[in-house]
Amino acid sequence: MPVARLPSVLLLFDRGTILLRDLDPGFDPSAIPGVLWDPRVQAYRTPAYRHEALRRELTRRGLPFSDDVRLPQPPLGSWSPIELRPYQEAALWAWELAQRRATVVLPTGSGKTRLALAAMARAGSSALCLVPTRILLAQWLHHIGRTYAGPIGCYGDGAHELAALTVATFESAYRHMDRLGNRFDLLVIDEAHHFGCGLRDEALEMSIAAARLGLTATPPRDAAVAERLVELVGPIAYELTIGDLAGSFLSSFDIITLHLDLTAAERQAYEGWMTTFRTVHAQFRRVAPGASWEDFARAAARTVEGRRALEAFRRARRLTAFTEAKREMLRVLLRRHFHEARVLVFTADNESAYAVAREHLIMPFTCDIGRKEREEVLARFREGALRALVSARVLNEGIDVPDADVAIIVGGALGQREHVQRVGRLLRPREGKRALVYELVSRKTTEVRLARRRRAGLAPRGAAAV
Amino acid sequence: MLPEALLPCSIHGNVVLPHFLGEHDHPWLRVLLEEYGRFVGRRQRELDERLRAPLPCASPPAKRRIAIHVLARHWGTRRIATIPPRRVRAAVFGEAARAYAERAAVVASVAGTLGVTVTELTEALFADLPGERLVAAPAEVLSPGELALRTNLAIGQGLLFRSTAVLIDMEGNARAVVRHAKLRGLICAILPREGERRAALEISGPYALFRRTLVYGRALSEILPLLAWCHRFRLQADCAVRGQQLTLRLASGDPIFPGKAPRLYDSKLEERFARDFGRVAPDWDVVREPEPVQAGATLIFPDFALRHRGDGRRWLVEIVGFWTRDYVERKLALLRVAGLSNLVLCIDESRNCADTALPSSSRIILFRRRLDATAVLRLIEQEPQAPG
Repeated sequence: MPVARLPSVLLLFDRGTILLRDLDPGFDPSAIPGVLWDPRVQAYRTPAYRHEALRRELTRRGLPFSDDVRLPQPPLGSWSPIELRPYQEAALWAWELAQRRATVVLPTGSGKTRLALAAMARAGSSALCLVPTRILLAQWLHHIGRTYAGPIGCYGDGAHELAALTVATFESAYRHMDRLGNRFDLLVIDEAHHFGCGLRDEALEMSIAAARLGLTATPPRDAAVAERLVELVGPIAYELTIGDLAGSFLSSFDIITLHLDLTAAERQAYEGWMTTFRTVHAQFRRVAPGASWEDFARAAARTVEGRRALEAFRRARRLTAFTEAKREMLRVLLRRHFHEARVLVFTADNESAYAVAREHLIMPFTCDIGRKEREEVLARFREGALRALVSARVLNEGIDVPDADVAIIVGGALGQREHVQRVGRLLRPREGKRALVYELVSRKTTEVRLARRRRAGLAPRGAAAV
Repeated sequence: MLPEALLPCSIHGNVVLPHFLGEHDHPWLRVLLEEYGRFVGRRQRELDERLRAPLPCASPPAKRRIAIHVLARHWGTRRIATIPPRRVRAAVFGEAARAYAERAAVVASVAGTLGVTVTELTEALFADLPGERLVAAPAEVLSPGELALRTNLAIGQGLLFRSTAVLIDMEGNARAVVRHAKLRGLICAILPREGERRAALEISGPYALFRRTLVYGRALSEILPLLAWCHRFRLQADCAVRGQQLTLRLASGDPIFPGKAPRLYDSKLEERFARDFGRVAPDWDVVREPEPVQAGATLIFPDFALRHRGDGRRWLVEIVGFWTRDYVERKLALLRVAGLSNLVLCIDESRNCADTALPSSSRIILFRRRLDATAVLRLIEQEPQAPG
């Protein structure tokens, strides 16, 4: 009869990390990647997200270990059957083939949440869903509640309730993951492109969840950020763009770009501010030709001229955000589509959104409007009691916006990612629907280049499975 | 927490030097406070717009921005609207969607329905939004000196937020610091120091080994206002500033606004014991919260140190709250590990959580509700003094 070997090491969860204790004298864990000696507690330590890799490494070395990391799971409820579209099914398979640790890229409106529900049901394990905002928190709770019979935990918007299936805002996750990190086997990360650049990455590092599903419509194109996201969430296992689904599972659409002139007074003010800005910017570019905008902003903030240049640039952008011509064109377009379409108006900033709201009597949908009122507004928009909404950023990401037909993009600040998300808001398919996107661009301003750049994100990319 | 670009500091070698505000900043701080006062009753966005432009007197931009940041948190806003803005929005935007009409006609129609004037209606439309609220003076308006201290605290915390570990050499109030550290999941190690109330603590987050994290950076920054209540402290931290790993040094005497004063005693029981003991034992000094003692991986925080003025005998007293036999046995084992034979455990008999008997020890004093100072004095006078 074989004699059971005593464990060489005990694994414990400690505030978002794994401690290796009670080591066998012949075992040196420092050779394992990511494991470091912590003299403060006289033990070896590694970040929690390396838990599974650590277990594999110990097994590979034939070292018996005792694992007290994972807290006992509360019982899971049951899932109703979830029907998927062919591309959602394909995405789910791609995720499974990637050992349930991957990112899926699907356009806005194509049913990423539904895919996540199917993934949670398929995994049959405890899961923590991370979402960027409180509005999305409520939305995810609602969607899960429709297909899952069992308690649903909630962290965020003042709630601290824990269940085998829990939804948390990024902010709450980052604040509480040192205590939640050993309770879930699956992490679902909505709008996963928010991670990878350092800000709040620790929420993902402090979790032991081996299975991870990242969801995004706009994966990061910066190589360093993309690489970090692969480490924290997993590689892109499946990717489709709006262009791939438009006309089939998403509505077809047209984009009409309207180039508008500044008034003489606006032009004079614009050129004045841009001259102030360009002088300083050009000097900086001569000294640091490869530097980024962030580098310039940091350097400029340290000198009087630099600060003046930044302020001038800000004023120029503010001017082009909502010009006289845009005001007039917006009036014409709203009148044209008043009877037959539901319209979303997108602005560069909240200030412009309120200006549009005041002038054209369109309900603003911004972060300043309370949650309950926003829910009411969406319901009224769905029923047709409101025909148009104006927003700067809140409508960009994730929110289930009722079917709209026309988008008027008065201004944008965040480039390609924002544009893809905004256009995606219109593409919920309907028999005979062809959505319409108007872009209002101020002629001979920085907006022309920005508009050209942001359109690149809508081109078809084709699916890539692992 | 403040963005790095807002932090007024300079780099000298591998040291980051915070640019604290001092008396020479008071004139422009006074002007800034006056500007705030001038905008009381006006819309917040008007004040924001005004503050984007320089003050009518010379003021260092970096310091001014951070002072504005601090003031924004201190000053409040209030809403004025004859009718609730949410109700106005529902009515106005609903009416505008019902049938196409000119703006003026829609507004006039809704104003009539709600029984208000057009001006009242348009003022109420967004009266609850942050920029539209009216600037309101706080209950207590800051003086330039107080504003400088609060701004300095924000600067110090902003730098500490970028740190992974801090080393604090301190005298007094160590308990409050360690309590905070434990509560926020920080790791606290004690380094040996001489002196009755001195302690040197090395505090860091569990991730300090790997990288800087926001969550533990924030926890470290929150220590600073507690330090202001120490008799003396010196703090050294490694901070990531402007892409470099730099050393930050702060010390008592730095012009930093202190947080809320910690309570002198944790309970009435402790307060009463200190008073009683002082009365029955005039030859002994009572030191509240002496330095913590390391026992293995744990820190022990005695509630009092009792020191004989004549011969220097020294005893530590810890008052135990709720207890079980296991707890007391573990505690006694810890004291043995730490070689602490001069510590008296005072245990409230009525707070036994498991209905089990206490382990026997000559260093335990039992009490009910009120700790008998005479019993403690008797024990320490009778027991042979062990090295502490």
